[in-house]
Amino acid sequence: MTFLKNFVNVLSVASISFILLTAIFTFIVYFNLLDGRIKSKAGIGFIAFGIFLLVTGIWVTPLLYCGIAYMLCLFGLSKLGPRIWEPKIGMWMLILGGGAFGLSILDPNFKLIAAKPDNVPIAAMIFLLGIFTWIALRRAYVNDHQMALGGIPYEKTESDEKLFTWPDLVYTEMLCMIALTIVMIVWSVGLRAPLEEAANPTSSPNPAKAPWYFLGLQEMLVYFDPWLAGVVLPTLIIVGLMAIPYIDTNPRGNGYYSFRERKWEIGIFLYGFLVLWSFLIITGTFLRGPNWNFFGPYEYWDPNKLEPLVNIDLSELIWVKAMSMPLPKLWIIREAPGLILVLAYLGLAPALAAGPLRRFYLKMGGPRYYVGAYLFLIMLALPIKMVLRWLFNLKYIVHIQEIFFNI
Amino acid sequence: MKPQEPIPHNYPMRKLNLIFALTSLGLLAVTGVMVMYDYVRGWKWFQLEFNRIQAERIQQELTSKNDAETRKRLAGIERDMKAGQVEIARNRNAYLEAQKALDEWEGKHYAADQNYRFAKAVLDAKRYELEAATVQHRHDVKERQREYDTRNAHLAQLNLTLQEVTRNRDAARARVDTFLKRIKQLEDQKKDLTANADLLNKQLRGVAMSSDNMILNAPMLDFINPTLKIDQVVLNDLFIEMNYMSVPRVDRCMTCHRAIDRPGFESKKEAERLAAELQTKLDRNLVQPSKRAEMEARVAALRRIVDGPRDMMNPFRTHPKLDTFVGSSSPHPLLEMGCTVCHRGQDRATEFGRAGHTPMSLRMEQRWKKSMPFFPSVKDYEKRNWGYEVNPFLDTPMYPREHSEAGCLKCHSGQMEVGEGEKINKATHMVELYGCHACHKISNWRFTDLQKPGPSLEGIAEKTTPAFAFRWIANPTHFRPTTRMPSFFYQRNMIGPDVSASERAQNIKYQDAEIHAIVTYLFSKSTHRAWSAPTGGDAARGKELVNSIGCMGCHIAQDTVKDEKTGVVRVAKRDDFPLERHFGFNLTGVGSKTNPAWIFNWVKNPKAYDPLAPMPSLRLSESEAADITAYLMSLQKPRFMQEPVRPPSASAVRELAKAYLVNTLTDVDANTKLRSMSDHDQLVYLGQRSIEKYGCYSCHDIKGFDGLKPIGTELTVEGSKTLHLFDFGFAHDYEAHDGKHEHILHTVPSWVYTKVRSPRVYDDKRAKPYNDKLKMPNFHLSPEEAQLVTSVVLGLTKEKVSENRLASRDARHRAVEEMRKIVSQRNCRACHVVNRAGRAIGPMIADTNFLPPDLTPQGGRAQSPWLFSFLKDPTVMKIRPWMNVRMPTFGFSDHEAATIVSGFAAEGNEPQFETMRYEIPPQQNVAIGREVYAMLRCAQCHSTTPVDPANPPLPNVADAQSLAPNLTLSKLRLRHDWIADWIRRPGEMIPDTRMPANFPRDPETGGFRSPLAGAIDTPQFAGHKAALLPYFANEEALRKTMGDAVALTNYLRDYIWSVGLNQMRNPGAGPVTPAPQPQPVTPPAPVQQTARAGSR
Repeated sequence: MTFLKNFVNVLSVASISFILLTAIFTFIVYFNLLDGRIKSKAGIGFIAFGIFLLVTGIWVTPLLYCGIAYMLCLFGLSKLGPRIWEPKIGMWMLILGGGAFGLSILDPNFKLIAAKPDNVPIAAMIFLLGIFTWIALRRAYVNDHQMALGGIPYEKTESDEKLFTWPDLVYTEMLCMIALTIVMIVWSVGLRAPLEEAANPTSSPNPAKAPWYFLGLQEMLVYFDPWLAGVVLPTLIIVGLMAIPYIDTNPRGNGYYSFRERKWEIGIFLYGFLVLWSFLIITGTFLRGPNWNFFGPYEYWDPNKLEPLVNIDLSELIWVKAMSMPLPKLWIIREAPGLILVLAYLGLAPALAAGPLRRFYLKMGGPRYYVGAYLFLIMLALPIKMVLRWLFNLKYIVHIQEIFFNI
Repeated sequence: MKPQEPIPHNYPMRKLNLIFALTSLGLLAVTGVMVMYDYVRGWKWFQLEFNRIQAERIQQELTSKNDAETRKRLAGIERDMKAGQVEIARNRNAYLEAQKALDEWEGKHYAADQNYRFAKAVLDAKRYELEAATVQHRHDVKERQREYDTRNAHLAQLNLTLQEVTRNRDAARARVDTFLKRIKQLEDQKKDLTANADLLNKQLRGVAMSSDNMILNAPMLDFINPTLKIDQVVLNDLFIEMNYMSVPRVDRCMTCHRAIDRPGFESKKEAERLAAELQTKLDRNLVQPSKRAEMEARVAALRRIVDGPRDMMNPFRTHPKLDTFVGSSSPHPLLEMGCTVCHRGQDRATEFGRAGHTPMSLRMEQRWKKSMPFFPSVKDYEKRNWGYEVNPFLDTPMYPREHSEAGCLKCHSGQMEVGEGEKINKATHMVELYGCHACHKISNWRFTDLQKPGPSLEGIAEKTTPAFAFRWIANPTHFRPTTRMPSFFYQRNMIGPDVSASERAQNIKYQDAEIHAIVTYLFSKSTHRAWSAPTGGDAARGKELVNSIGCMGCHIAQDTVKDEKTGVVRVAKRDDFPLERHFGFNLTGVGSKTNPAWIFNWVKNPKAYDPLAPMPSLRLSESEAADITAYLMSLQKPRFMQEPVRPPSASAVRELAKAYLVNTLTDVDANTKLRSMSDHDQLVYLGQRSIEKYGCYSCHDIKGFDGLKPIGTELTVEGSKTLHLFDFGFAHDYEAHDGKHEHILHTVPSWVYTKVRSPRVYDDKRAKPYNDKLKMPNFHLSPEEAQLVTSVVLGLTKEKVSENRLASRDARHRAVEEMRKIVSQRNCRACHVVNRAGRAIGPMIADTNFLPPDLTPQGGRAQSPWLFSFLKDPTVMKIRPWMNVRMPTFGFSDHEAATIVSGFAAEGNEPQFETMRYEIPPQQNVAIGREVYAMLRCAQCHSTTPVDPANPPLPNVADAQSLAPNLTLSKLRLRHDWIADWIRRPGEMIPDTRMPANFPRDPETGGFRSPLAGAIDTPQFAGHKAALLPYFANEEALRKTMGDAVALTNYLRDYIWSVGLNQMRNPGAGPVTPAPQPQPVTPPAPVQQTARAGSR
């Protein structure tokens, strides 16, 4: 049991879990939604990466654990294939997940965090997230399957006849209201809001956490400068969400679930929502403890734990470490490598437009393509920066103190 | 309407209807649960249970009141009433006639009254018309005038008529009443008998579980007028400190603690104690006669509680010591003080857990943790399972019961001691004596302006040797088990079990080096005055002197005590002696510590060695001082001086010195500096730094360390520090210096207790460089001592109390408190009883007739000018020449002596300057007083022969019972009016005085009975009677005066005043203080010479 807990603790580390989640996302998309096969070029590529993880794991134990989990997921998901969308398998996954949660509650450290009245709805929402995503993707798969056999999607088989609001809408709504009221009352009586200590301006709580819907941003602050993590990226998220209807003009998949007809759109959105946003929220809620240190789910939140913060800027890496020179005074020279990298990264959009993604460029037209591409690139900048941080302890790619601008 | 086809639904309706029904029922159930959760509250259980107890008691009282006697009387009254009614029936006709007449007259009265009133109204209107016409100069003024006059006359007539009618009506009514009078009387009697029962029944209705009450208390209806409600007291001037504002207290404790301010619900233990206390008061006649019956009833009620079947359990108990706390006639009534100002806890909470209740012991905590059943019964209350959990969010949990007196300091820190607060008084005295305030600043009046607890080290080389000093600093308790000096070195964080062997060896070397350095520094900076050695000296005589002249009040001279219970001789602990005797150091072993020359000069004149020394001079002669020196030098501890001393390791000294140098210099420069210093210089440098590090200068005067800030944490608001700011380290339990195994709980009281008991335990298992380790020394406190000190620390909070609530804040009380501060600082209680406590020297003096006097009534008793002179120079008057114990010459400054004098005067509520001392009593009074003096045989003990106040002859001490002050000294010393009061009630002023109570109290009237009332007529007093008769109008008057205690004592006083001396010596230089400058000579006001005393 202790080994299992230790295993999970190690896997929950942000870097490992991010790799795993990205891998699982790719598996689900490839094996379960697109009917991919393990005995294909992509499959071989996945296995190779897994072997790479296991090999490096000989020196770096977390990667070993990662590799083990990776291989388990790879073979599991590829074996299951489309069967993952069967209700029975879905029910089993729910039972397993609930069971794991229930068993975890027995661990006192886990219980302290997960059973806090503040965190109970968040834990509930994680389950809801999983359930609804599964339902939606199941529908999508079923529709795709049917359409592949030449049929029409399920939603279109229902008749266009009109229904009466009473009782079909309003009555059922009322029943839902009553049921929900019962749940709310039972919940509020059972898990009452606590009266904690008197407010003390000289004693801030440790950790000082934002509400759950902002914890994703608070977690992003670990990797990004506050200007970016707190202002630019949230603005772009909102602007991006608003811009989706103008970028995504795919007429298919309208009014019915489908994955194949909207691969890129659904894939990019789900990746951004589940693997980036929700993952950050879950990490921020459950896995960040005092001093914003990382603690595994079964670890005790020790406020005295000290981890050295030895992060280094790109300019320091290149000038001081690699070239053994003092940092140049003028920021334009000092940050030149970083700036070049960033510009090169942003230049990927036109580069790709000229090359591999030309058909997208032509189809969507210039403005739409560039807006979409840049939003996508900036979205990807988050995982890229996170990986750079984990691999190289990289603090800032561009660090311009003089004008308070850092990337 | 045409019939329609069945409408197709998306969902099956039957199923939906079923779901609707089920969910509605579910919603109803859940709403019921919600209401129940809101409605069912713990405090309601307690109130219901208390109501039940009260109902039981009222029932018992009702049945006891409804005894046979009362019933018989009620039956008698009923019978009489019936008889009265029969009588009326017999005189029926007369009664009816009288009634008819009355009705007629009532009617006439009604009419007459109405006529009068209407006429008056009309007159007023006419008056208006008249005045209006006059003012407006109308033509009809004359008519108006005529009308007005007519009406006026008419009104007067009507008035007369009305009065007549009223008279007649009243007479008629009286006639009717004569018939009814008897019945009315009986009804009043009946009401008297049943009044009490009616009251009880009314009370019973309030508390019984009737259906009315159940409706009033029903859920959803209980906002109208419930009988179960939250009870609170709002205190606007006692504040709770929230972290950013102060809010008024709202104490809701009495919601559950219903009987806390009501007598009658005491626990058996408290009832027994209180009954004994009140009975003592009754027996000693200390109770006013009007209150006696009440108190006797109360004692009887308490005895009933002690004999009763069950013990009242909390929360329904009465507060212990109700007359001091919480009772409506106490200084801390519940409605004005609430509860949390003393006990802390969450004031506004109405639940057990939220209120911050703190269990007293681990066993209590275990019991509390179990939870109660949902519907508890009486048996469950008695189990006291409250489902308790420590509330981690409450910053101010209640004080544990052993610390309940900590709350006193909030309001009483302007006082030296709190009335009835034995524990907190001992605690603050201990803090003052052991000197916590010296290292830890406490900005309360109580702990400011106090002297340093340790002796001055500026002349240490004259007093002792480095060999002693090293051994002493290394381990004070090896030399003196009862010392107040704490141990700084070789503590558990240096050489304890958690320290690795290599580190331990290193630490020992470092500690040795530091002690050597300190000793070297002290001796190098010391003065080297020469003191002359004594010649000769008899140690046996010296021992006798030390034990008799009063040294034993402030000093102890023993290392061992005999255990009373087992008879075993064991090492003495501080607890074995009263705190006053720890004021001076324990004399055993002093011969090993110091040298004869120093002792000789010290006992003769301490202030020559150190002008600020607290030790006073006992005006020893040269031979006395030599004898004492010989005795003290004989008290040796050779084994201590033979304990091995490791020489300082040069490397250790260098390393430690360098550690200080590198704070300001670089490593290289530090090395250079060290190399330039000789070994001795290095030691001196390290010594200076070490004294700074350990804070020796906080308790001792040391050259070169004037004006440095105290080294410890400031404790002024330590009691308000939240738990998370205390560093518990890794310590959970430890073994204290006396071997006792102690646990550390995660609470503030436990942290503080542990800190004062074993300060360095919080360094256990921690990795710290040498100079970062904890430095607080170990005071070897016993568990009781540590608990008391913890109470003080817990009581130092930042909670503000508004000015008008602070105790002793008016000028009179401030004067008294300033005096008490000096009394404490000079340790007067070593010999004297001051304010009903003290006299530590008492057990050391075999014959109680030779004890130093009780100063409790001193303020009202002594004249201020005399007291001032006496304090400055006690040789001005020897009031009790038979005593061996000497009043020392303290060398008070004028300011100090004046503070003491004005404090005593304020305490006795007397002025400092008065004219009564110049009073000349009338001759007649003096003569009568002389006779009374003879009749009461005062001369058996008191002499009226004039003496030299500074040098009176020694009385015959064989008859120890009859030693009393010479009365010729009274006029100089005593206040005029006090003398009479003293003669009347000496036992009330000084309980164990030898002065007989010639005028005992009369318990009924509260006055004094005179023994001469009857005695004047006896044959023995015939001569006196004859002598007195000329001064009275007749025998009756004489007898009356002989029975009047106040008059007799006044005559006595006048007589004593007449024989009093008028002059005494001015306070002289004395052997210690410098001679006062010659004052401008103004001859004293001529004092009238009265008849010489003893001329008869």
